[in-house]
Amino acid sequence: MSPIKKIWKFISSMQFAIILLVLLAAVCSVASFVTQGQTYAWYAQTYSERTAAVIVALHLDDAFHSWWFIAITAFLCMNLLLCNILKFPQNLRRMKNAGDAEKHIGGDGNVQAEDIRDPEKLFEKLHFGKITRGSEDRYLFAAKNHAGYWGAWVCHLGILLVILGFGLGQMTKQTYTAYGVPGQSRAIGETGYIMTIDRFEIGHRADDTVEQYTSELTVREAATGNSEHAEISVNNPATMFGLRFYQNSTGWAAKVHVDKDGEPLQEEIVCAGDYLRVKDKEDLVIYLNAFYPDFVLEEGVGPRTASSEIKNPAYLYSVYYMDSMLGMNALLESEELTIDEYTVTFSEPQNFTLIQIKKDHFTWLALVGGLVTMLGLILAFYMQPAQMWAVKQENGLWKVCGTCRKGGAIFREQFLEAAGGKE
Amino acid sequence: MGSQQMLGIENVLFTVAMLLYFASMIAYFAFIAAKKDGIAKAAFLIQIAGFVLHTAALVCRGIGAGRLPLTNQYEFATSFAWGLCLVCLVFVWRYHFQVLGAFSAPVIFLIIGYAAMQSKEVKELMPALRSNWLGFHVSTAIIAYGAFGVSFVLSIIFLLRDRMQDQSFMGRHVPGKEKLDMISYRSVALGLLFLTFTILTGAIWAERAWGSYWSWDPKETWSFVTWIVYAVYLHLRLRKGWKGKSAAIFAVIGFICVMFTYVGVNNLLPGMHSYG
Repeated sequence: MSPIKKIWKFISSMQFAIILLVLLAAVCSVASFVTQGQTYAWYAQTYSERTAAVIVALHLDDAFHSWWFIAITAFLCMNLLLCNILKFPQNLRRMKNAGDAEKHIGGDGNVQAEDIRDPEKLFEKLHFGKITRGSEDRYLFAAKNHAGYWGAWVCHLGILLVILGFGLGQMTKQTYTAYGVPGQSRAIGETGYIMTIDRFEIGHRADDTVEQYTSELTVREAATGNSEHAEISVNNPATMFGLRFYQNSTGWAAKVHVDKDGEPLQEEIVCAGDYLRVKDKEDLVIYLNAFYPDFVLEEGVGPRTASSEIKNPAYLYSVYYMDSMLGMNALLESEELTIDEYTVTFSEPQNFTLIQIKKDHFTWLALVGGLVTMLGLILAFYMQPAQMWAVKQENGLWKVCGTCRKGGAIFREQFLEAAGGKE
Repeated sequence: MGSQQMLGIENVLFTVAMLLYFASMIAYFAFIAAKKDGIAKAAFLIQIAGFVLHTAALVCRGIGAGRLPLTNQYEFATSFAWGLCLVCLVFVWRYHFQVLGAFSAPVIFLIIGYAAMQSKEVKELMPALRSNWLGFHVSTAIIAYGAFGVSFVLSIIFLLRDRMQDQSFMGRHVPGKEKLDMISYRSVALGLLFLTFTILTGAIWAERAWGSYWSWDPKETWSFVTWIVYAVYLHLRLRKGWKGKSAAIFAVIGFICVMFTYVGVNNLLPGMHSYG
């Protein structure tokens, strides 16, 4: 055999599939112990410099998008595809042979019983429906569960569709996040759509636990002015203009007032984690780090909130000038922050809503793949192809034989039980 | 009847069920030690009684909590033990294999014992868990885990089968290796089918709740690893020379993965399933 043929044979072999699966399981389990998507500095601080170097060198920081993970998956796809191509004619042949009485009646099968008076009863007991009769009742033959031959094939096809759907989705999907408080509008990336938050509500139960987060959104197409409106909540996304909107998260926002020389200069709602650039001094930035509704400062613990109720609101802020941090502190609502001629105050804390927006054209393909995989497993596990035949003996009684491709031991037991233990 | 009363009844039923499982395990040990078939029948009946009370406990929990009892460590652990017992009883009945109960009883008792150590407090569900998919996703996982538990027990029996002489007491009560392998295959098949369904329903739910049907969250990753290990098991069975012992070893590794996915991931690898 030529080397190319040898490689081809190996790539399409079950041995290669097993190697790839074991490799995939091993790398996935290793990667699950490494927090994904962090920086070298983070790994060095969390583990050690040496471990961080290994993690980054082996791409374990983004294992599921690394070249080697994609390569293993690509080889697996190739293996599955080749396996299915090679198995297709083989399965067709098997199906044809399975229903061909002449190919069976000469043989003994996996299990036999002799001197059977009523073979049809035995066929019935083992759920063989349609019986074919030979000329002059020379033999009886029945086969069942032909579809079972296609179980593994359909399952492989399903897995290929899942990988294809997932891969295409990863390559083409668009995801955006937008956050704000009611009344604010946000452009959705470069899509040309503008999202306005009409309402945001946090539903609480009697025990103050959160029951649901609900946002009401209007999306407007900038070019045409057409708009669509929907309400979303956790587990209840909505689709507008082909974009899918998810209620993702929430946090605190506050109104930031900037006065210059005692005169109001600027007023903006800023969400925690976001910043405000002072209007006439763009290099001066006020960053809202966090909001504490019921502020407590404990030595050794740092700032925290005692409850979720707004009892003693405080704002943790940082001030940057020309990208250098000037300072960081917590400010109570009644307090002011003075930076040269500017005075900064915070007020009106409120919850903002974080919306995730997604467009993935291939989710359906992955779903179809999942369903096809399920179908394949059902066919493979619960449709076990089997054949039964009976041949008339010289004494007028019948010799009944049976064969089952899978589950031989159990089929044999059921057969013998039905035949009254005769063999 | 108020929810607190229902939860009180659940507590009693759960404790009695656990004691019955323990009694069943002891009875099975006695059956092996005394070599009397009558004791095995008694052990089996005690296990059925435990299962019935356990089922009643889960129903009371559901009524008391006002939702499916499948949302925290305690509820999943008790349901896991219930699923394992259910699959075990079905397999004992289906394959006339009473000794399976003897080997399963310690595993069931360990899992329900683990459940007893968890907090039984009923907490309100966070918004992400308020979905109809929860029932499909977790209940299919329970059946999958139960079936894998049975395949684990069967594989252990398979690996011990060589030490049992055919004419010995155990040798007469344990099927031959070919049948053991076949029953183990069937339990893996059931488990893998339900695990696939679990992953599929989980993906559909994740898409609705988190906007992404697959995020390589540690729980997802380990479910995938478990799926692969059992897929390898199925392929190994088709290879000459690998069927039997090697496949049984893979079924044992598979169940270790199941347990890690359940206990290890929850405690060692925080992710989006941290409430699980």
